[in-house]
Amino acid sequence: MDITQIAGEVAAFFQSDGVAIATTFCTILRIVAPLLALLILWRCARPLLTFQPEPETWAWLVMPDGNQLPITHWESIIGRSKGSDIVVDFPTVSRAHAVLTRYDDGSWSLSDIGARGAVSVNGEQIAVAAIEYGDVVSLGGVEMKLVPVTQEEVEEQTYSRTSPKHQSSPGLTLLLLTIFQVLAACQLWMQVAPEYAQTVLVSFLSLIALQWVLLLTLRLLHRSGYEVETLAFFLCTIGFSVIASDSPGSLYKQLFTLIAGIFVYLIISFSMRNLSRAKKFRYVAAVCGLGLLAVNLAFGKEIYGAKNWIMIGSMSFQPSELVKLCFIYVGASTLDRVVTKRNLITFIIYSAAICGCLALMNDFGAALIFFVTFLVIAFLRSGSFATVSLACAATGLAGVMAVRFSPHVLSRFSTWGHAWEYALSGGYQQTRAMMCIASGGLLGLGAGKGWLKHVAASDTDLVFAFVGEEWGLIIALAMVAAIVILAFFVVRSSKAGRSSFYTIAACAAVAVLLMQTILNVFGTMDLLPLTGVTFPFVSNGGSSMICSWGLIAFIKAADTRQNASFAVKAARVEEAPLYE
Amino acid sequence: MNKLAKRAWFAMVLAGALLLGMAVVIVRYMVSAPDWVTFQSSPHVYSNGVMNSGVITDRSGTVVLNATSGRSYAESESVRKAMLHLLGDREGNITPFLLNEYGAELVGFDRLNGTYSTTDESAVMKLTISADVQKAAYAALDGRKGTVGVYNYKTGEILCAVSSPSFDPDNVPDIAGNPDTYDGAYYSRFLYAKYAPGSVFKVLTAAAALEEIDDISARTFTCTGSIEIAGETLVCNGVHGTVTFEQALAQSCNCAFAEIAGELGANTLTKYARRSGVAEQLHFDGVNTAAGSFDLSKAGKYETAWAAIGQYNDQINPCSYMVFMGAIANGGKAAEPYFVEKITRGNSSKYEASTEMTGRMIEKDTAAALAEMMHYAVENVYGTWNFAGLDACAKSGTAEVGEGKQPNAVFTGFVRNSQYPLAFIVVVENGGSGSAVCTPIISRVLSTCIVAMDSD
Repeated sequence: MDITQIAGEVAAFFQSDGVAIATTFCTILRIVAPLLALLILWRCARPLLTFQPEPETWAWLVMPDGNQLPITHWESIIGRSKGSDIVVDFPTVSRAHAVLTRYDDGSWSLSDIGARGAVSVNGEQIAVAAIEYGDVVSLGGVEMKLVPVTQEEVEEQTYSRTSPKHQSSPGLTLLLLTIFQVLAACQLWMQVAPEYAQTVLVSFLSLIALQWVLLLTLRLLHRSGYEVETLAFFLCTIGFSVIASDSPGSLYKQLFTLIAGIFVYLIISFSMRNLSRAKKFRYVAAVCGLGLLAVNLAFGKEIYGAKNWIMIGSMSFQPSELVKLCFIYVGASTLDRVVTKRNLITFIIYSAAICGCLALMNDFGAALIFFVTFLVIAFLRSGSFATVSLACAATGLAGVMAVRFSPHVLSRFSTWGHAWEYALSGGYQQTRAMMCIASGGLLGLGAGKGWLKHVAASDTDLVFAFVGEEWGLIIALAMVAAIVILAFFVVRSSKAGRSSFYTIAACAAVAVLLMQTILNVFGTMDLLPLTGVTFPFVSNGGSSMICSWGLIAFIKAADTRQNASFAVKAARVEEAPLYE
Repeated sequence: MNKLAKRAWFAMVLAGALLLGMAVVIVRYMVSAPDWVTFQSSPHVYSNGVMNSGVITDRSGTVVLNATSGRSYAESESVRKAMLHLLGDREGNITPFLLNEYGAELVGFDRLNGTYSTTDESAVMKLTISADVQKAAYAALDGRKGTVGVYNYKTGEILCAVSSPSFDPDNVPDIAGNPDTYDGAYYSRFLYAKYAPGSVFKVLTAAAALEEIDDISARTFTCTGSIEIAGETLVCNGVHGTVTFEQALAQSCNCAFAEIAGELGANTLTKYARRSGVAEQLHFDGVNTAAGSFDLSKAGKYETAWAAIGQYNDQINPCSYMVFMGAIANGGKAAEPYFVEKITRGNSSKYEASTEMTGRMIEKDTAAALAEMMHYAVENVYGTWNFAGLDACAKSGTAEVGEGKQPNAVFTGFVRNSQYPLAFIVVVENGGSGSAVCTPIISRVLSTCIVAMDSD
């Protein structure tokens, strides 16, 4: 007997003679699983939400009175206003006078950002200029000097800043997740059709192996922040169990895209380590993004009313998912550009082009995600509610037109909020979803024992209800909580951000994750029209999985806790421009 | 970068929206999950279009409906007919309100566990109804249209709530083809009918008189067979001569009560009708009973007199009036009625009824005086032998329902024995004289009630 047969026969046993054992196991698991999930969530959330952003000092600025001010970002606004990163309270200095920028190689530059008083370096008036340590910089006549941090100061800082592993042990959290995964795999083993027993077991074991290999790899690179990844793996676990219950045949595909996703995560992380490299990548990303959508428009295939799929042989994928990653690269920007080029016109045109393409494909869910992400980026770059309001108004108008003229969209709006009145037509999916959530209660009916799998798109669009039915509302809410935790973490850590490029990218990534969760869950629960958007990491879908892992990389690039992230280089004294 | 860190909170608008939405989801779940789970064709609860709810038994444990898969009714045809209006039919013409109201409990739903269950045992809903009493009452109505209701005014348990005509759900007759025979067969007259009360309404008028007119008990009235009011003639059911207040109620003298109505006036009568709640809807076990009416806003003196003796546009619902009788019996407040005693699944209890009292419908002393008067009527007019040897108080009514039609026979009252605290009402549509038609029915029903209660 080979392993396939044994796995199958064990499954068959639990579905016939051993059904009492399976029932007992399930009864215990439905109590244990939510507790374990909440424990994992709490262990990830605590360090992410309670850490104190500790600044890194990159150089000192010596003031005329001899005071040394620490420069704690790669990009700092120098000015008189209290909101400046380096406050120089002299009447001749403008509110925001100049931007001091550090580069990957340890070199510095200073840019005049349209101040009243002039900016000069060593007595020479400049708009932008590279500066060396020891140069005398004058802002509106106030002279100051850039002084490097010493080796000792860096070592002291490395030593004193808190590393994530001192907050909570990532290995222990991952061990808890592994227990969760083993229990889930056993439960599904007992419920799945015997011919798929091996598929389920191999997929879950691979998932476990992957997360430990990634953890060990990062530990070898002395990176100890693993909460964000653990949350992602937790969501993937739930996703795997949904697929094992719904369509176990596509588990290997999901596993394959998970591996691909982790590669994308590593690649983007690597690209973000070096800011000048990341900045260069923007142009490639811009072209790729539009190119992908153009190809999609030309060769796209219509599924469920939206022409957002490309088929290559038997493989299908949604280019718009990958475009999200490109869009974030394009939207991110360094501080000198943010403060000097308040004009967002290029970015607005680019965003409009993307949203236009998506509208042509009838993919309004994706268009909405891009639009909201655009709003977040636009606000971060302009700081102006007026810009955001104007964009909202214009798009609202366009949206009204789209709804008025597109029967496909109109049909979804007609049942919105009235799902129970159209329980057999437009509200069929939502009402089944809510019935199944209620049937599952807070603790669920047991993985593999749900009914919602018989409804179309239940493992993607209705996945919140799918999880609610099989795992219970507590775990379904825990999935949402995981996304919210990521968002809070990014916003909190932005205080110690190195470059606005990273902060903007991370916020944009979070906006995508939040918006997808909102559209997915609210659509299922009839709080919004059902738009067919995936739940990050959980929904069955390869493109979505890859994109979600890419987004994680942007979040990790903003994680400046000591030795937390592979996407962030450790601070050290650069030997000089030669060293790279 | 400080500015940017502040602006980053903008992304939290989205997180706020998400959290707000999740709060809505949780609230909706807590409020509506029982409705979701029992909604038509809910996958874990329905099969082949029927909710797999459970077993319904009467108070003695006799199965009156097994709805675990499909519907099978009681074995006895007469029980099937007598119980039909409480259980609903297969075609959906009669709403199974108990199954609907307690659907979530019957399917074993609770908010923590959903429909998860490790037992195959189905839920059992035990009613307060006695199938034997129902059967006896339905047989006593003998094909006449009407209703019989009996309930325990101390606990609220409804023992009998029969409505006629009914039909056998296992052998559905041609209802549409026989509109006369099956007129109103799809609804429970006990819960949803409204009738002109006729003389049973004099109890309420008497209550008002006891409180509002000094020495009413010592008064005498002279009945010559009719009385002139505002130029019109109100006819009595006989010539009673000189009667006391007590005798006037027992003999149901219209002249005496018309005189009393004239003294009380429309406003006072309306006040008492409102306070007693006889025209109010009752809400229990998913039932909203029909609302009665007592509206004197357009009534002159003559109409007011008619209204005081239960005619004009007076309407009562049998169930509500039965509860009013319970309040008289119980010193002014009665238990609110209910059908469902408890719901259990295996060893766990999913629902248990509790006794709730109505508000004060009538003053305590007034209630005691009324009870004595109604007992006087039993002793002197209706005959104590008609009440299974119980200490009964009652009032009959013969309500005119229009030209050329026999009047409706109405009979209502209560038992004072402490081990049988029962209030009752009987209505026989177009039955003729109230007491003559109804006393044999209530006699039979009360003796069956005693057997049912003794065997509890």
